[in-house]
Amino acid sequence: MKTKRLAELSLLTAVSLIIFIVELRLPNLSSIPGVKLGLANIITVYSAYKFSGREVLLMVLTRVLLGSFFSSNFSAVIYSLAGALLCLAGMLLLRKIIPLNYLWLCSILGAVLHNTGQIIVAVVVMRSFAVAAYYPFLIISGCIAGAFTGLCAQLVLRRLMPIENHDKGE
Amino acid sequence: MTKPVKLILAAVIVLFVGAVAAAMFVRRPSESTWVEIVQDGKVLYTLDIADSENRTFTIESADGGYNKVEIIDGAIRISDADCPDRTCVNTGFLRSETIPIVCLPHRLIIRYTEEQEDEN
Repeated sequence: MKTKRLAELSLLTAVSLIIFIVELRLPNLSSIPGVKLGLANIITVYSAYKFSGREVLLMVLTRVLLGSFFSSNFSAVIYSLAGALLCLAGMLLLRKIIPLNYLWLCSILGAVLHNTGQIIVAVVVMRSFAVAAYYPFLIISGCIAGAFTGLCAQLVLRRLMPIENHDKGE
Repeated sequence: MTKPVKLILAAVIVLFVGAVAAAMFVRRPSESTWVEIVQDGKVLYTLDIADSENRTFTIESADGGYNKVEIIDGAIRISDADCPDRTCVNTGFLRSETIPIVCLPHRLIIRYTEEQEDEN
């Protein structure tokens, strides 16, 4: 891995961790387990379109693990991990079909897949299908949160584009 | 907009509308007044909350944490817990037939169940 790439990935991971920690400070929007805006995924969605699958995987794993240290909510790691991996797998497939200007669409599906991963783990961990009753609510929140983070990621892309073009010109 | 993107967009809209319909469906209130409290897949208590006196009891989890369950006038909720997210406390009283109160960190579920034979 080139040093520049490494620096870029580290910087973006750090930014996503900061967003994650800031979001922890915000009051919980709902009483439904697993519902979250997931602002840190702005960086994930952006990265899914900019880097290779392996590189984004490294970023996401680092964020989830360090994020659990910072939030000291270790029992949530398995849910975040399952959600994040399913979301990433889906987005890496979708990025071939969905062009950059429909990033938000990819983000919505990523968010819904994230919630799907969480529910599957919850059913396994709790040994009960009762938690699956929350799935419709998670899909609704996933669509809204995914659209929001996706639109944010598009704004980020637009801001970073001139910098990248400048870099190439050097 | 290319054809595959249109298809995906249509799928997302269908998914969203379906989820809204399903969410409205599962919100319906319970007809039964029997509740079961399940931890780690094992049923700890089965009780008729309409017929229970008001009380609070504590359920300890394997990792040393606790959930305080409160029954008031035929309604049940988790009134206090030491889990990190406290989602179970914020859920409030159990209302819906299908939506349980869950405490993911303590693997605790409180939900309505079918009416049981009175054991007494």
